Amino acid sequence: MNMPTQNSGQADTADQAADAGAKDAVVAARGLSKTFADGTVVALEGASFDIAPGSFVSLVGPSGCGKSTLLRLIAGLIDKSSGHLKVHGKPVDAPRTDVGMMFQRATLLEWRTAIENVLLPTEIKRSLTKEDRRNAAELLRMVGLHDFRFSFPTQLSGGMQQRVALARLLQTGADVLLLDEPFGALDEFTRERLNVELMRIVAEVGATTLFVTHNIAEAIFLADQVFVMTPRPGRIASIVEVPFERPRSPSLQTSPEFNEVVAEVRDILGEDH
Amino acid sequence: MPAADADRGDRRSGLGLQQRRALNHAAIFLTIVGLWELGSRMGWLDPLFYPRPSNILRSFWLIYIENGNIWPEIYSTASLVLSGFVAGSVLGVSLGALVGLNGMVRRFVKPYVIVLEATPRIAVAPLLIAALGFGASSKIAIIMLVCFFPPFINTLSGVVNVDEQRLELFRSLGASKLQLMRKLVLPDALPVIMAGERLAMTSALSGALVAEFIQRDQGLGALIMTYTRNLNMASSFACIFTLTILGFLIFRFMEWLDRRIAFWNSEEGLQRVGARRRKRMEGLA
Repeated sequence: MNMPTQNSGQADTADQAADAGAKDAVVAARGLSKTFADGTVVALEGASFDIAPGSFVSLVGPSGCGKSTLLRLIAGLIDKSSGHLKVHGKPVDAPRTDVGMMFQRATLLEWRTAIENVLLPTEIKRSLTKEDRRNAAELLRMVGLHDFRFSFPTQLSGGMQQRVALARLLQTGADVLLLDEPFGALDEFTRERLNVELMRIVAEVGATTLFVTHNIAEAIFLADQVFVMTPRPGRIASIVEVPFERPRSPSLQTSPEFNEVVAEVRDILGEDH
Repeated sequence: MPAADADRGDRRSGLGLQQRRALNHAAIFLTIVGLWELGSRMGWLDPLFYPRPSNILRSFWLIYIENGNIWPEIYSTASLVLSGFVAGSVLGVSLGALVGLNGMVRRFVKPYVIVLEATPRIAVAPLLIAALGFGASSKIAIIMLVCFFPPFINTLSGVVNVDEQRLELFRSLGASKLQLMRKLVLPDALPVIMAGERLAMTSALSGALVAEFIQRDQGLGALIMTYTRNLNMASSFACIFTLTILGFLIFRFMEWLDRRIAFWNSEEGLQRVGARRRKRMEGLA
């Protein structure tokens, strides 16, 4: 386990630290803070971290701990209030093509078939080629929906809709994947199965993944590192390293070692959990 | 056991549920018409205001076939409804989209919309005639006026109420304003816009009638006025039933159009369009 690296409110330290960020980090933050418009709500305070290429990071914590805010900052959907944030060595100031995002709801367009939904990101960039269509069909095969590629979202179950959304995320070609409670609205069984598939798929494409959840066991099961976050103000209280080998099977979650990590995270979050 | 009896009876007659229902409806309808005819003949109903069904039927024969004088009026009313509807709703949708997409304009326009919405549009009809004179232009203006608001309001609210997460998705994909419009906002608003169009189409027919009542030169509205003034109630009823049929056809047409345009709201539409898209994409791949 690393000690939390926080530089809250120390702008000059943060400045120096910004250049000191690990050279090979895909996402690097120093003293990253976000205060919302009226200046009273500190959504995120002094977040500092480096995320290594291809690693899987879970962000876990209760609502209001800033995990969604952090994700939206990295996605370039909102602007930071202070601190430094770089993706692939370049400051984030707008949405970018090397970062892709997936939401709790599938946000599919119901007038498009599954494959047309998957093709949306490419369509926004340029006109489609045969190759794009083949690639989209291949991604749908990867998420197990090849037979449903001409179905409309309303003809698919909730879990299938999220699989389409995942295929769409991969179609963007982004190598930093931001997942905001992607399976949070699904039932326990579907969620567990999709989690296992998600691990397989992101390993296959070699993406760096940030996964937001409020489920501690899920966060640990999936990740190489767990950012444990606490609210008021939202901050990264601790970064917990997850020592387990990959590939992991769901039975890992019943082992004593696993439960030790759960206990550790719980401890950091405090007695509410 | 009456239920069992009924059951046995049905099986013997060999009729399906559909046919039995149709029979029931026909029986009820004929009873009502029969009572009306009887009441009129027995003098329970004033035959001047409640003409016998048999007389109405004869009027149908007269105005549709023997004289055939209703056809130009149907054509006149229908073309009026169509042109006023198209003009009014195109204007409504485009202004609704324009206002909805521009926050500043929206804030400025909103109070006027509320005031105008509370005003019965038809009340303005005489003023429009005074301003534009008798003739087609003022009639179309009246229909445009009643057809404008439902699509305008619905388009406005449709383009304003776009799901926040979908907007974020499009922003994270780096979509331009135009792409956001074409690929998200407009298709998303289509079902609501179509609901407005259906409402507008229904009002269009009423608008046309009011315009024709006032101007009394041509159309079904004018024909009803003429027949009623001549106390030819049977023919008036024939015109009213003609309007019933016209209204029903318009309603079905709008329903059909809705299913075509916002196809994803019905299972039938999904199947139909899904099959077409599959064919198209398999041709491309």
